[in-house]
Amino acid sequence: MSGGLETFEVVAQIAVRNLLASKWKTLIVGGIIGFGAFLVVLGTSMLDSVDHSMSRSIIGSVAGNIQVYSTKSKEELDVMGGFSMEGSQLDPLSNFSEVRKVVMSVPNVSAVVPMGINGSLVMSGNTVDQALSRLRETVTKKQQGDTSAAVAETYVAEKDHVRQIVTVLKGELENVTKLLDSKTIAGEETSVVTRAAAPEFWTQFDQDPLDHLEFLENRIAPLATDADMLFLRYVGTDPKVFAQSFDRMSIVDGKPIPEGERGFLFSKYTYEDQVKLKTARRLDRIKEERENRKVKITEDAELTRMARELSTQTKELVLQLDAPKTKLFQGKLQAFLKSPETDVGKLLEKLLTVTDQNFDERYAFFYKELAPSLELYRVRIGDMLTIKAFTRSGYVQSANLKVYGTFAFKGLEKSPQAGSLNLMDLVSFRELYGYLTADREQEIAALRAKAGAKEVTRENAEAELFGSVAETGTTGTTAEAGLAETELATLAGGSKRRLTATSNYDPRQLEEGVFLNAAVLVKDDKKLPQTIKDIEEAGKKAGLPLKAVSWQQASGIIGQFAVLMRVVLYTAVLIIFVVALVIINNALVMATLERVRELGTLRAIGAQRRFILAMLVLESVVVGLLFGTIGALLGAAVVAALGHSGVPAANEVMMFFFSGPKLFPALSGTNLVGSLVIVLVVSVISSIYPAWIAMRVSPREAMQAEE
Amino acid sequence: MTAIVSIQNATKDYTLGKVVVHALRGVSLDVAQGEFLSIAGPSGSGKTTLLNLIGCVDTASAGTVRVAGQDTAQLSERALTRLRLHTIGFIFQSFNLVGVLDVFRNVELPLLLQRTLSAAERGKRVLALLERVGLTEHARHRPNELSGGQRQRVAIARALVTRPQLVLADEPTANLDSVTGQNILDLMKELNRTEKTTFIFSTHDARVMAHASSLVRLADGKLADTTTNHVTAPSSPSSSLGV
Repeated sequence: MSGGLETFEVVAQIAVRNLLASKWKTLIVGGIIGFGAFLVVLGTSMLDSVDHSMSRSIIGSVAGNIQVYSTKSKEELDVMGGFSMEGSQLDPLSNFSEVRKVVMSVPNVSAVVPMGINGSLVMSGNTVDQALSRLRETVTKKQQGDTSAAVAETYVAEKDHVRQIVTVLKGELENVTKLLDSKTIAGEETSVVTRAAAPEFWTQFDQDPLDHLEFLENRIAPLATDADMLFLRYVGTDPKVFAQSFDRMSIVDGKPIPEGERGFLFSKYTYEDQVKLKTARRLDRIKEERENRKVKITEDAELTRMARELSTQTKELVLQLDAPKTKLFQGKLQAFLKSPETDVGKLLEKLLTVTDQNFDERYAFFYKELAPSLELYRVRIGDMLTIKAFTRSGYVQSANLKVYGTFAFKGLEKSPQAGSLNLMDLVSFRELYGYLTADREQEIAALRAKAGAKEVTRENAEAELFGSVAETGTTGTTAEAGLAETELATLAGGSKRRLTATSNYDPRQLEEGVFLNAAVLVKDDKKLPQTIKDIEEAGKKAGLPLKAVSWQQASGIIGQFAVLMRVVLYTAVLIIFVVALVIINNALVMATLERVRELGTLRAIGAQRRFILAMLVLESVVVGLLFGTIGALLGAAVVAALGHSGVPAANEVMMFFFSGPKLFPALSGTNLVGSLVIVLVVSVISSIYPAWIAMRVSPREAMQAEE
Repeated sequence: MTAIVSIQNATKDYTLGKVVVHALRGVSLDVAQGEFLSIAGPSGSGKTTLLNLIGCVDTASAGTVRVAGQDTAQLSERALTRLRLHTIGFIFQSFNLVGVLDVFRNVELPLLLQRTLSAAERGKRVLALLERVGLTEHARHRPNELSGGQRQRVAIARALVTRPQLVLADEPTANLDSVTGQNILDLMKELNRTEKTTFIFSTHDARVMAHASSLVRLADGKLADTTTNHVTAPSSPSSSLGV
């Protein structure tokens, strides 16, 4: 057997020389294999990177590595909200500190963050409402006997602003009537506005301001549709622990919610997207799109639409202008536009009719000259935000929270998915969700006494209100809560807004109360499945109904995205390789048939069938390895290049998946080796049939005379 | 002299579609060691079929074919291959060299398949044979760089490199001009004499038959005529090796 190596050598020599001799076949087969390897390396690298960056996005924003919630929940937890804006229907866990103790007993756990995710409608400030409430305050002051010059001056200015608003509304209504040509629809509105716009109305206003204000509040304010219902998703949490645990979070404007204080933090994205003055937002968007995507307003349908809205929807701006501001804007706009037009609304329309040529100039003018006199955000940092939410038992609960600032997750500033979640303290969240704090209970008790509510024992209350025993540990609170909600619903009928009595709470309250789910951060994320098991085990031991899920599971469809993409990629790769198999197989069969004489000769002079088999398989393996390596290296080079320059996210959704505006794919050895293995397997499989044919070539073929 | 090939009443039938072709219809033949046997006959007479049976690339439909004492009908495919490798050398009408290997490698190929000799021993034997056939200088040439006669001499070297008991040549001169063919025949005869290798070759060329020590004529799959020492081979006039 001394010739073993040499035999291999000669097999290899024949194989390689044959490949060189039939270049077209080698190139076709090699090309396909190389392309396959290229695709596998590039695809899996991109996917791994998306997977990696997305997991960073999800883990680093709100999900943590693991989410824990109650096994009794009716639905599965979806922290990203999926397609619905509502939070998942989760069964609350009653005591956070207890759960934390149990979860922290698992060695791999580094932090536990209590949470509750929900969404609700929030009325953002209406310009008319605001102007009217300011006027009402001044009127009240006057009526209380304040005769100072300052108050008198404010009164006139504010009255003028409201009058201006009415004029704008009248003009708008006339336009609508003209357009619709249907007096019946707008008939009543027209008469109301005409009355409010008449000079008599305003002369009488001074005599009986309160009645007139009421008319304006009830009949005119509803006509101004600029008041927006904001739908806000929010996570109630321990703000301090949240900020510590999710280190990608940073405060953009304002400051964090102080410890022990109730408060609200807008996500910067939501704040910009929904709270900002629409005109300003549109200008921002157009600027961004023009700069990021290098598109022209005239060429992009989306931009064209935004530009049109920009020029036609100026009412929001006009309504903000009182007399002095109107005058100021008039002067500035006339000078800038070199126009003799006196109507500010028309001037603004003219200014905001933007084209690719004038956009930058107009944008700069808006922000430099007009913006300082405007309220750019409908809710300002430091304002109180009234949030009304439906509690679990169906009552409307409201909370007034101070807006401390805005925050963003690093790398996800532009991502709507990560940006849709705002933040509040867990204590306020519980109230909105239908659980009461001790403070609130006292307050409710006081209210109840005032309202002359009869004494209700806890047991009775439960029976009356629910007809069943409440399910949580804080039985009393739940019962009270139900009662309180009834009361509040009644009380809320009269006044629109109710302030929370206290703006702070005892930190212990936050620790010991109910919560819906908790994010768990781990030390070593490779041990995730084991840690999940450990947490559930620890829960069982402690008698807590804890369900632990990985971040992928907890983030619903978004978490499955990478898995889905992987399935798509592998399917594509599979199809390519099946096609490759067929083509390679055909090419090899043809090549084999061309080599019948040579194969017959080899068989005749004493080569065993396995020699022929080895030779053909070796040929395929050589082609596979050679071109597979070339393809894989090309793929690696492209990945390296992309890793250097980055793959820009085409839109905001992609930013979430890329965990930032660009994806920097990284190459892993596993992908390279994996692609070569796949390529080798494909080469060998595709050479089986031709090799089988070759093996069956009879040595007699050598004897046939040449034609 | 013992018979290297012993055929008793061998028949061979092929089916071509639905037609059964009787290529051999009962041939009996003994070939003694050291013979220089020519199988002659017109096309379709069964020359190649007979050669295939002797060369162990095919087995008889009936009758027995013994090569080097072994009944080929009793041997497995692998055993037949081994028998070819160790006992028989082949020379083909169209040379059938491996185009991608050089002359040296082509000659060495059967030794590599045998896997019994070391590289040094193989080299020695190959070079000795190349010298013998006058191709020492062409050892590193590829077959397509050689003339037809040179190629056939490579094939002869390849057939002899394993020192087989029997060399089969299927129309070895059919693709060569008459002068070259003559030279090839002279070479084969020379080797037959000095190496005592048995040569069996098929031909339908009368000049080639003239060199044979025995002649077997085939017609319609049957032996038509057997002549021994038809022409006394050693007395042939040209025994030089030059081509």
